[in-house]
Amino acid sequence: MYRILVVDDAATVRMYHRKLLSDAGWHTDEALNGVEALERVHAQEGDEAFDLYVVDVNMPRMDGYSFVRELRRLGPRHQAPVVMVSTEAQRQDVDAALDAGANTYLVKPAQPLDLVLSAALLLGDRDAALVAAQGART
Amino acid sequence: MNQTDLLDQFVIEARECLEAIGKRLLDVEQDPDNDELLNDLFRSVHTLKGNCGLFEFKPLERVVHAGEDLLDRVRHRTLAYSAELADALLEAMDYSAQLIDQIERHGRIDSNADARSIAHASALRSFVCGSEPAPSPAPLAAVPVIARVPVSSEDLAPSWTSRLDLAAVASKLSVLALRYLPEVGCFFKGEDPWRLARTAPGLLQLHVASASAWPQGEDRAAWDCYQCNLDIVLCTDAPRSEVEAHFCCVAEQVTWCDATANVGVAAPPGEPAVSPLLRQRVAVLWSDQCELLARAGDSAGTVGAARRALSNLLGCLDGPAGSAASASLAEIAGEVSASSLLVWARSNALAVEVVAVTATASEATMPDRDIVAVLPRVEDSSAASPQKVLKVGQEKIDRLMELIGEMVVAKNSLPYLAQRAEEVFQQRELAREIKAQYAVINRIADDLQHAIMQVRMLPVGAVFQRFGRLIRDISRKLGKEVNLVVEGEDTEADKNVIESLADPLIHILRNSLDHGIELPEVRRAAGKPPAGTIRIVARQESDRVIIEIQDDGAGVDAARVRNKAVERGLISADQADTLSDDDAVQLIFLPGFSTADEISDLSGRGVGMDVVRTAIERINGGVELSSVQGKGTTLRLSLPLSMAVTTVMVVESAGRRLGVPMDLIVETVRIPACDIHHFKQARTTVLRGRVVPLRALNDLLALDAAPMLNEAGELAVLVIRHDNESVGLLVDHFHGASDIILKPLEGVLAGLIGFAGTALMGDGGVLMVLNPKELLQ
Repeated sequence: MYRILVVDDAATVRMYHRKLLSDAGWHTDEALNGVEALERVHAQEGDEAFDLYVVDVNMPRMDGYSFVRELRRLGPRHQAPVVMVSTEAQRQDVDAALDAGANTYLVKPAQPLDLVLSAALLLGDRDAALVAAQGART
Repeated sequence: MNQTDLLDQFVIEARECLEAIGKRLLDVEQDPDNDELLNDLFRSVHTLKGNCGLFEFKPLERVVHAGEDLLDRVRHRTLAYSAELADALLEAMDYSAQLIDQIERHGRIDSNADARSIAHASALRSFVCGSEPAPSPAPLAAVPVIARVPVSSEDLAPSWTSRLDLAAVASKLSVLALRYLPEVGCFFKGEDPWRLARTAPGLLQLHVASASAWPQGEDRAAWDCYQCNLDIVLCTDAPRSEVEAHFCCVAEQVTWCDATANVGVAAPPGEPAVSPLLRQRVAVLWSDQCELLARAGDSAGTVGAARRALSNLLGCLDGPAGSAASASLAEIAGEVSASSLLVWARSNALAVEVVAVTATASEATMPDRDIVAVLPRVEDSSAASPQKVLKVGQEKIDRLMELIGEMVVAKNSLPYLAQRAEEVFQQRELAREIKAQYAVINRIADDLQHAIMQVRMLPVGAVFQRFGRLIRDISRKLGKEVNLVVEGEDTEADKNVIESLADPLIHILRNSLDHGIELPEVRRAAGKPPAGTIRIVARQESDRVIIEIQDDGAGVDAARVRNKAVERGLISADQADTLSDDDAVQLIFLPGFSTADEISDLSGRGVGMDVVRTAIERINGGVELSSVQGKGTTLRLSLPLSMAVTTVMVVESAGRRLGVPMDLIVETVRIPACDIHHFKQARTTVLRGRVVPLRALNDLLALDAAPMLNEAGELAVLVIRHDNESVGLLVDHFHGASDIILKPLEGVLAGLIGFAGTALMGDGGVLMVLNPKELLQ
């Protein structure tokens, strides 16, 4: 089962993101900031690793940009796609996310379809992507 | 989790944010140059705003958003922090708290909240614009209207229909697409474009974008947030007449297009209905990966992640092109540089039919990332998220507490049982076993009680927190300067104790501010620093929590207190003259006492320190006042750690069992009858060199019996503390201590003086618990 780490300091947002992602059939875990997220990443044992990271930008202790930069310095098994989620919608915010090493960027509040479809495609979960796209019709 | 859970979570977190904001604002006021504090403050507001976005709480979001913009400038030092700014923010946050209350009660915000929320938001925005807030209809005229970017007028084959996924609705008989560009000033006409669009009959799809590009940099500060900048496109399968009727009020702002005819163009026949949306998304993500690779440099991690993403994207595409590309990606073995992978990704963009998007992605400002406002639909599911902190309703804890309390009392019946086994049934062995078992249960009950106490323990700081704000507001109102110093806020006490502490403390602080701390010029003249200091110090002393409130104000004027007390007929003039200064200042605790010459808004209203004393004594606490004229006043509150289970000593008098609260008892002694001295009606004895007045409990309770002597001719004396002095109560027997749950007297007994309440004993009997203070009065 695909495993996703949701990183956000707002409990409401964590709950919302995890709900959307676990409804799509994926296992989710959470962290409150970059420091905790790195701890969670390091705690993955053996061959286990997260398949996707959904990361907020503005967080205490360590923000999303720093977290992704740190993440990209780790070994290959932790190199999963990162979806950056933030309230800011300016071009420079997207640039900053990509500069840090994020794979894509969504504006908060993430539309359920946007988040789930992007996650499905970045995970390579074709069935979930089709279900999500189909669900958008009905 | 369902929608309600998400909403509950929202309310909880929103409250936490508001509390943090309130606290941080005061911190920042002390230390406005501290970036750490400012960022922390900003983040709390930011989190709150982000959470609002998940729901449709427009009035709340509007206010919080304005606050966020304001603080963003403050933290970037483009706007100076000022007390006025803090005032506006605090007011706005108070208002937000009201809105949260509404949300918690009704799940939504009252429809009439708009006007006030706009007023609050514009008050905040006025700091940004550097002008005074204008009455609500005015800002439109005052702010230059930003020219709307002209939209393509060739609507023969309107380009805006591409924002809809018309292929998906190809099965519908007739599809009507329309574009609705609300007027810039539509909000001031009472229009609600978003709602109008969402409630369109037969709505199939809806897409919202900004009508003109959002202002950047400097322009952003001047941007009027009350202008409508929406560009709404939607399609419906309702008859045109019905849709026209729906939009009749804004008919001139709506462009129509019969989308049925365009469906063939948008989706070639035979194409599966689902693929456009998927392909579109793949295209966006593919171009993101290209951009990522273009700036990845030599970061192997980033390249690895991009490669994984590309490979996954291909995995989601069907058809020969996708699998061919997958194969060619697999051929690029091992470590690749970012640039070679980028070359590959660009050249294979054709394979995923996204070449056009890739080429323009860097110029376009996020094709699919226009503002899309969506109310999330979250359905029921059993998926539970693990929590590190368990938040439990207080009533559940209270219930648990009650049950444990009952058990503590119920276990007390075991010793009676053991006694019966031994005395009535002559089962000595069984009695011993019961006693052994009792010891075990007793220990577990004690642990349980201790554990539940810990759950209920709160740091006293929880109640101090709001004082910063209170003192700030009041001192500003009075024109006084006051610093609040709080020490020992980590000291813990039971939740009930803490909560019942809030009102008395507020009253004390108001008194200190109103009567204690002098105006700056008066203080200067007295050789004191112009800013007064109020210290709140909390600490634990054995099983009591001590809270001291000290101010360095004028102190209590004993002569003035004497005069007032006489004037109000509380004591006679003769009595007043015999009082020492220390005793005189205690008069302020008398009911109906007030030194304020005119009833002030703050500490007037006819309630005085007697209210404080009553409230503190209700939770088994005590209050002492000491004051040095010209130097300041100190109030010392002594409170129990917990008030759930009370320990009493059971005594017997005239055949009745009575309880006396343990914390009042100094000692129990037996005194030979010959050592009792009679002086007129009064009896005294000498105990450890001090004269202790004696009162017979039977007399106090109007029981017609003399105190009983034991075989040795001694009287049982229960020495208790009363007004800082020891008083001996003559009783018949002592029966040891017992844990009880004190129930207040209710119904016809409610008015009974001299009793604190009743308790159920282990043997099923009812114990009356005395209130010695009232008895001795």
